[in-house]
Amino acid sequence: MLKVIQLDKTYGQNKHSLKDVNFTAQPGEVTAIIGPSGAGKTTILRSVNQLIRDNGGKILLDDQDIRQANKSELRKIRHHIGMIFQNYNLISPLTALENVLHGRLGAKSTFAGIFGMYSTDEKQEALALLNEVGLGEYAYQRCDQLSGGQQQRVGIARALMQHPKMILCDEPIASLDPKSTKIVMDILRQLAKEKQLIILINLHQIDIALEYADHIVGINSGEIVFEGPSQAVDDQVLQKIYRQADQPKQAVTANEN
Amino acid sequence: MKTNFQSPQQFFRQRRLRLGIVLAILLVIYGVSMVLVNFQTLASLMQVPAGLIWLFKNFIPTERSISYLGPILYQLWRTLIVAVSSTICASLLGLILAILGAKTTSPLPGLRLVIRFGASLLRNIPVVAWAMILLFSFKQSDFTGFLALFFMTLGYLTRAFTETIEDLDGEKLQALQAVGANYFQCVFCGVLPEVASTLTSWVLYMIENNLRDATLVGILTGTGVGFLFNHYFKSFRYDAAGLIVLLIAVLVICLELTSTQIRRAIA
Ligand SMILES: Nc1ncnc2c1ncn2[C@@H]1O[C@H](COP(=O)(O)OP(=O)(O)OP(=O)(O)O)[C@@H](O)[C@H]1O
Ligand SMILES: [Mg+2]
Repeated sequence: MLKVIQLDKTYGQNKHSLKDVNFTAQPGEVTAIIGPSGAGKTTILRSVNQLIRDNGGKILLDDQDIRQANKSELRKIRHHIGMIFQNYNLISPLTALENVLHGRLGAKSTFAGIFGMYSTDEKQEALALLNEVGLGEYAYQRCDQLSGGQQQRVGIARALMQHPKMILCDEPIASLDPKSTKIVMDILRQLAKEKQLIILINLHQIDIALEYADHIVGINSGEIVFEGPSQAVDDQVLQKIYRQADQPKQAVTANEN
Repeated sequence: MKTNFQSPQQFFRQRRLRLGIVLAILLVIYGVSMVLVNFQTLASLMQVPAGLIWLFKNFIPTERSISYLGPILYQLWRTLIVAVSSTICASLLGLILAILGAKTTSPLPGLRLVIRFGASLLRNIPVVAWAMILLFSFKQSDFTGFLALFFMTLGYLTRAFTETIEDLDGEKLQALQAVGANYFQCVFCGVLPEVASTLTSWVLYMIENNLRDATLVGILTGTGVGFLFNHYFKSFRYDAAGLIVLLIAVLVICLELTSTQIRRAIA
């Protein structure tokens, strides 16, 4: 179980991006964080694996506080937290297979990692994972020759190669067409159910969030304004989450002089 | 710069006006410098054909020049070795410096400034000046030429490599960090594969460039094909000197063709 307690983040001097953020995410469930642009979704997700250093609070993954971990502990913790991104962030000249194998880096010695010394078992597993996400035939293809949806699935396979307890997804479908969106979201939901993973996902699309998530966390201006099962989300809740966001600032259309 | 315009016409009128002013300024600068160096454009242009004809008459290799082929090829080979080895050594060190100095991969922010400054210092001293300075300590030898090219190339490539690495999307490295990769793994599994083909292009370009510079430096350091050219030239053996120019051109073209092939293969 992931438990975020009183998380606080200030960028620079006084830009308060997260204020007293509390929520939980359960294994076997898809938890979606929704909220207007700039609300702090990315900041939360990146604090969870400490890509961003927050300013206070607790982040408990199975009762271990990630924030207290030292460098080598953090590396071990990160090894079991997968992460996928809006723009995939694969190493583009490398093959799909090599990118999936990168999922093992957190468990490898510096030397073995640098020289790409992977065991036969690891290679077999990577291939099996690529098959699982439906990309077996693309294993030896350069990643920049794959479509967006395919790259995202390589990203998922890389995360799975980590034997994760949890997968963090920062707008994983924002650059995908409806068909790829469905494939990716189906895979994520299935992973939560079958492997009992914690899936924590930032989403812009409310309909997708309501369709796929079991648990919804709504955030506005760095504060949690809703947390509950997706069935409990109604218009009133949505209004609360997205308030102000519906009134864009006066656009620069006016002829000022 | 002004960003508010009443109408597109006004915007483009201003554009044209600016272009006109720039052209006028260039013309004036040209005129003034012509007067200063006492250079008469037309008269000098008229002399070009005559000069070319003289060059052709004297520098065209004849059967006699074939006897020079042996020593020329040997010195050409040495010059090539100096150019290639200095570039390879400079690119290895340059890569390390670039990784330490690039914003995305620098382990110490302070290091960045030092490396930037050092690289720009190395790069901005012309290779001929390097050769003349180094002549004091290392006398006339291939090694002096090697060092001169090495320093200039190091400055140049460190800068180019740094910029290539900084252009890399930092999120890709964060993705590896998120997997639990440590610093060296991020560099070797992420940065290097991403930049490898661009860096190779730079290195190939520098080899081509350094072959030309090595010839020049050779005149100063008394080594290689540059020295031989100078030697034949001063002893009025223009046909042999012409043969050297021809062979250098052939070598440079071969080098360019090869590197184009390599670049295409790795792209
Ligand atoms: N590196 C940074 N430096 C300063 N402020 C930042 C930085 N990153 C984010 N912020 C600020 O923190 C707030 C939250 O940003 P965050 O990226 O978490 O929002 P988000 O909910 O992910 O938005 P989006 O939906 O547009 O991705 C924003 O107001 C943003 O301006
Ligand atoms: Mg975001």
